[in-house]
Amino acid sequence: MSATNDNPPPWIQVLLIGRHPRHTLIRIAVLVVICFVTFKFILLPVRIAGISMEPTYRNHQIHCVNRLAYRRHEPQRGDVVSVRFAGESVMLMKRIIALPGESVSFHNGHAYINGELLDEPYLKNDCDWNHEPIACGPGQYYIVGDNRSMPFELHTQGRAGRERIFGKLFL
Amino acid sequence: MKIFFRLGLLAAVAALGCWLWTVLFPSPEKAVLKKVSALAETATFSADASSLTRAGKASSMVSLFANDAEIVLDIAGVVTRTLSGREEIREVTLGGFVNLPSLKAEFLDATAKISADKKSAEVSCTAKLQAGSQKDFGVQELRFRFKLVENNWLITRLETVKTLQ
Repeated sequence: MSATNDNPPPWIQVLLIGRHPRHTLIRIAVLVVICFVTFKFILLPVRIAGISMEPTYRNHQIHCVNRLAYRRHEPQRGDVVSVRFAGESVMLMKRIIALPGESVSFHNGHAYINGELLDEPYLKNDCDWNHEPIACGPGQYYIVGDNRSMPFELHTQGRAGRERIFGKLFL
Repeated sequence: MKIFFRLGLLAAVAALGCWLWTVLFPSPEKAVLKKVSALAETATFSADASSLTRAGKASSMVSLFANDAEIVLDIAGVVTRTLSGREEIREVTLGGFVNLPSLKAEFLDATAKISADKKSAEVSCTAKLQAGSQKDFGVQELRFRFKLVENNWLITRLETVKTLQ
């Protein structure tokens, strides 16, 4: 035989800390730990500033970068990656189109890798870029944005060292 | 109970002492990074800042540099220029400060490496610059070299770093 208290807790208590405060506190603690671990060691939330990845990623959108994406394998062509400057506060977000040892050139707005046309279904804007082949050295990846509507010289792009590639865009 | 109170008080006094020590005698890293913060502060001015204020800021900024300091700017498609000596830096800075409507400078992710003899240092950081009322900002990785002159850290070289080759 057990005694039970049938009186319901005050509504304000239910609203603030639930029917079982101890359970609520445990849930909060677990949530805080999960958030801390996730955003400190796995995902980095980023806000896009600029139009160079439009229309795939728009200005002011918020996304997450997976810090662990390249722990088991190297970056791949087509990956949208974040490239760090001196730290994590500001980063470039671009797409990898050429891998180490490859050369990239542009003719009439189309990218060619080692002389072969690169299929880029993510490009939606018109482009008229023309540029001689640029060779990627060992550990260098050619990164460029998806919005190539501006002149070649005004678009931030180039070869990024492997050590600068911070992670892969996750969401 | 008394012993716990005394131990707590002792710990608090020790913590305060440690904090005071770091404030009064900052490590070389902290001292150098403070100079970088001071540079960002002097390079920031609002649109309503008078010419006199801007000139004062330019002068304060130049005082952070050594007499033989060099600024090497190499930003593809934007500027390729080397400024040598305080006077040239002062002229260019003053011209820039007078002509720009406003400027907001931030040096982010600054890290300092102090040499073994603790007489020179290198700082890497990301500069975020916003001129006028534009929402867009420019980002550039920078490298500073400092040297210790009469207990004062002065910039001997400031150069742009190419993030992408």
